[in-house]
Amino acid sequence: MSKEIVAFCCEHSAYPAADLAGKLRLDCPENLRVIRVPCAGRVDVIHILKAFERGATAVLVLGCEDGACRHITGNTRAKERAKYSEMLLKEVGMDNRTVDMLNLAPNEPHKFVRAANKITKRIKESEEAR
Amino acid sequence: METKIGVFLCNCGGGIKNIDFDAAREKVAKIPGVTCVNLSSNLCLEEGKEKMLSCIKDENIERVVVAACSPEFQEHIFRQVLENAGLNGHLFSMANIREQCSWAHEGDVTVKAVELIKMAVNRARLLQPVEKKELSVNREVLVVGGGFSAINAALQLSQVGLRTTLLEKEAVLGAGTGELGNLYGSDTSSMISAVEGDENIEVLTSARMTATEGKIGDFTVRIRKDGEEISHKYGAIVLATGYQTELALDSEPKLRAEDEAISGGNIVSQEKLCRMLENPSLEREPKTIGFMFDFSDENSRFPTLATLNNALAAKQKWGSEIYVFCKNVKVDGEGVEGLYREARDCGVVFLKSEAPPRITAEDGRVEIEAKDVLLGEDMILACDLLVAEELLLPTEGTEVLSSLLNIRRDSKGFYQDENVHLYPIASERKGIFFIGGCRGDLDLGRVLTDISSVVIRVHGLLSSGKIVVDSERVKANPQKCVACLTCIRVCPHGAIQLVRVDSDKEVAEISDLACDACGICAAICPAKAINFEGYTDEQIVAQIEAIGAP
Amino acid sequence: MIIAERKPMEEIKQLIAPYKKVLVAGCGTCVTVCWVGGEKEVAILASQLKLARSAEGNEIVTLEATVERQCEREMVAEIKDKVAEVEAVLSLACGSGVQTMAEMFEDKPVFPAVNTTFIGMPEKEGLWVEMCGACGDCFLDRTGGVCPIVRCAKGLLNGPCGGTRKGGKCEIDPEKDCAWVLIYRRLEKQGRLDLMRKYYAPKNFRAVKRPGKVQAVKA
Repeated sequence: MSKEIVAFCCEHSAYPAADLAGKLRLDCPENLRVIRVPCAGRVDVIHILKAFERGATAVLVLGCEDGACRHITGNTRAKERAKYSEMLLKEVGMDNRTVDMLNLAPNEPHKFVRAANKITKRIKESEEAR
Repeated sequence: METKIGVFLCNCGGGIKNIDFDAAREKVAKIPGVTCVNLSSNLCLEEGKEKMLSCIKDENIERVVVAACSPEFQEHIFRQVLENAGLNGHLFSMANIREQCSWAHEGDVTVKAVELIKMAVNRARLLQPVEKKELSVNREVLVVGGGFSAINAALQLSQVGLRTTLLEKEAVLGAGTGELGNLYGSDTSSMISAVEGDENIEVLTSARMTATEGKIGDFTVRIRKDGEEISHKYGAIVLATGYQTELALDSEPKLRAEDEAISGGNIVSQEKLCRMLENPSLEREPKTIGFMFDFSDENSRFPTLATLNNALAAKQKWGSEIYVFCKNVKVDGEGVEGLYREARDCGVVFLKSEAPPRITAEDGRVEIEAKDVLLGEDMILACDLLVAEELLLPTEGTEVLSSLLNIRRDSKGFYQDENVHLYPIASERKGIFFIGGCRGDLDLGRVLTDISSVVIRVHGLLSSGKIVVDSERVKANPQKCVACLTCIRVCPHGAIQLVRVDSDKEVAEISDLACDACGICAAICPAKAINFEGYTDEQIVAQIEAIGAP
Repeated sequence: MIIAERKPMEEIKQLIAPYKKVLVAGCGTCVTVCWVGGEKEVAILASQLKLARSAEGNEIVTLEATVERQCEREMVAEIKDKVAEVEAVLSLACGSGVQTMAEMFEDKPVFPAVNTTFIGMPEKEGLWVEMCGACGDCFLDRTGGVCPIVRCAKGLLNGPCGGTRKGGKCEIDPEKDCAWVLIYRRLEKQGRLDLMRKYYAPKNFRAVKRPGKVQAVKA
C-alpha cells in the first residue's frame, strides 16, 4: 500500500453515498479502498493503526450526520476514535498521517467524492514536497 | 485443510466494460484457497443463480464471494442461493466492482477490481456460520397514557387481536383531552366507552410504572396501583404520554393552561376557551377576542388548527369580533387551508407581525399592541379575551418514563424525534414505541398516522407469537469477559445485561432479540471479549491486508 | 480497583530502545477495566511501536499476550513460552503485575509501560476518580462513606476548612466537590449528623507498616 486511502464506510450513510457517486459517474479517485461496516461506531483505533502499519497514507472514517446515527452514538464515538488515532500517530512521529472523520447523508455523493479528492490532493502535494 | 472459496464474477449483462474479466479471472484463481472462479453475465437472474448453486454443490465450496454490483442491492438474494445450496447464508462476502469501481472511475479498473476481490476473499476465508433461532414472544401490549393517542391505539390494537393494557396515572381516562373535543369533531367520551366495553383492553387508572426490565417480546413491567405493586409481562410498550402547554407570556410565575390568568381570567389558553364555549351558563360572552400564536415556537401546526377551530366556534356561538396575531399560519395539515378560508370568510381578521405583540392588561380589558407587516403600522387592539400563545412542552410522565426505560429525548425534551434513521415512532430500544403529542410538534394528521403505524408495526412483531432472530451473531465470550460493564453502559439499544454463569461469575450477555448489530460494543470492549460475526477485528483487518498486496 | 495511566510515549520508547524483540504484556483485570492495559491497549501499543521504530529504520518485532491477572504467578506462568522468545517485556499491568512478571522471569528485563496511580472507581464513561488512599485505618463509618483523606484537598479529619466555594466546591480545586459538604449531606440523609460534633484525633498514618503484609486465617 502506498497511495491508498482506506475509507471505513457505514452502511447507513457513506456506503450508499459511495454507490450513488458511482451511479452518477462522479469523478472519484481510484486510490480509494472502501471497507463496509454496519456503523461507524464499529471502527476501532486498532483498525486505523493497522491500515497505517500496512502503509496507508490516509484513513477516512465516514458516518451519519450529527444526531442522525441509527445507533445514536456510533458517529460521535467514531469521531473521537479518529482524533485519538491521529494523536497516537503523532506520538510516534507520524505527523503526515491523517485520520479524518466525515459525516454525511446517504444522498450526499458529492460530499463523499469531494473529501476523497481533497485527501488525494493532499497526499500528492506532501509527496511532491518531499 | 484450506477453506474452499468460490468466486463468482458478474459483468452485469455485459454492462461492465472497463474490467478485463479474463485477466481478472486468472489473477483471482491464484489467490490461496480459491478453488473455482466463474464468470456470469446475469448472476442475479434465475439462470445465473442456478449455475451458482450447482457450482457450490459440485465443487463443495465452503465460502462464497460474489464480485458484482453493490451488496446494498442483491446481498440477500445471493445469501438465499447459499442457503438453497445447503451453505449457511453468512458464509458470503461481496466485492463491489460495479458502483464503486467500474462506474466510479474512467479507464481500465481491472487492477482495483482484483484488489477488491482479494479483500472480499480475505474476509470470506474467516467467516463463520450464524444460525437462526425462533423465540416466542409475549403478545400483550402496554400503552402508557390515557389520552387521545393512547385510547385510539388501544382500540386499534384490540381490533387486530392484541390484548392491550392502558396505563394511566390519573384517576380517569381522557384527562387532558379537553381542547381536543372541539378540534377533532370526534367524541372522546364515546372512545372511552368503547375502551371500557372492550374485552381485549385492560384499563389501569391511578397507576404508574415503577420499573421495567427485559427486552422486546419479553418486558417485565412493575406497576404501582392503589398502593400495591403488580408485575406483568408485555411484548411491546407504546408510550403516549402526551404534552402540556404553558402560556408564553412574560409573566412570573409562568402560567399554565389550567390557570386562571391575570386580570380576572381575561387571558386564557385554548383549552379554557373550549370550556367557555361549552359552558351553557357563561357569565359574559366576550365581544372581542384576540388570538396569538407562532411567535415563540415555529412548530405551530397545532396552535394554528386550535385557533382556527376555536375562532370559528366563537364566531358561530357568540358572534364576537375576532383578531388573530401571528407570524405565519401553518396550513399544511389536511383541511387546514379550508378552515383558514372559512375563518376569513366569516370575518376573522388575521394580522401578521414579525415581533411578538406587547400585552397589557387592566380594568378587565386586555390590550394587544403589534406592528402589522402589511400595513406597516402599529395596531392596538383592546379586547375582552386574549387567547395567548402556548408553548408545547413534554409532560412529567415523558421525563419519568424516559429515565425508567432509558430512552433518549430530543433537545426540547420530547421523545427522540430528530433522528432520520429511526422509524418515526420507534425508540432506539426495540419494542418500545411512542405516538402522539409526546413526540412534540403536534399535528393531528401525524398523530393519526403515528397510531396506525405503531399498530401495524406491533402487530407485525407480535401477532404470530414468534420472532426469528440470528442466534448469537454478536456474543460476549464468558471466558474473556471481565464484567467491566462498559458494553452494558454503552449499548444504544439496551440489549446487554449482566448474567450469572457459574455460581460466582457474572458476565455480559447480549440479547439476540434486542441487538441491532451495530458493533459499538465489540469496538469498545476493553477485553476484546465480544465476537461480532461478519465484522470481527480479524475479518476487518484481513480486508486491510489485501490492499496494495502484490 | 487499581487505576493506572499509560506513560508518555517518549519514555516508553526509551525503555525499549536497545531491544529488537519485545513482548507487550497486558493484564485482564484492573487495567483492562480502566482502559489502559488490556488486550486492546496491548494491540494499540504494539502497533504504535512498530510504526515508530519502522520510521526510525530500527525495526522491532512485537509479541502480544494478555494474562487474566498479572499479579498471579500461576497465570503469568502461562505465557512463559512467549517470554522466552523475546529480549525484554513491556508490561501494561500495575506495579504489582510488573513485579510478579519480573520475579517469574528474572533473566528478562521487565519494564513498566503505565504509572499506577490510585484506587478508584468510574464516575462516568471513561472517567476514573480516586476514592481510597489505602491508609490501613478506615474510618468511612463516621464520614458517611466519603473519604476526606483522599477526597479533601487538605485531608482534613474534623470538618470543612471554611473556604468552601459556592455550589459546594473545594477552595483549592474549584472543579472538585468539597468532601466535607458531601460528608455532611450524606450524614444528614442518614440522620447521623451528631457524628460531626465529635472530635477525632490526628490519624495514625503508620497503621500499615510498609511493605504491607496481610495473613489470612489458614483455611
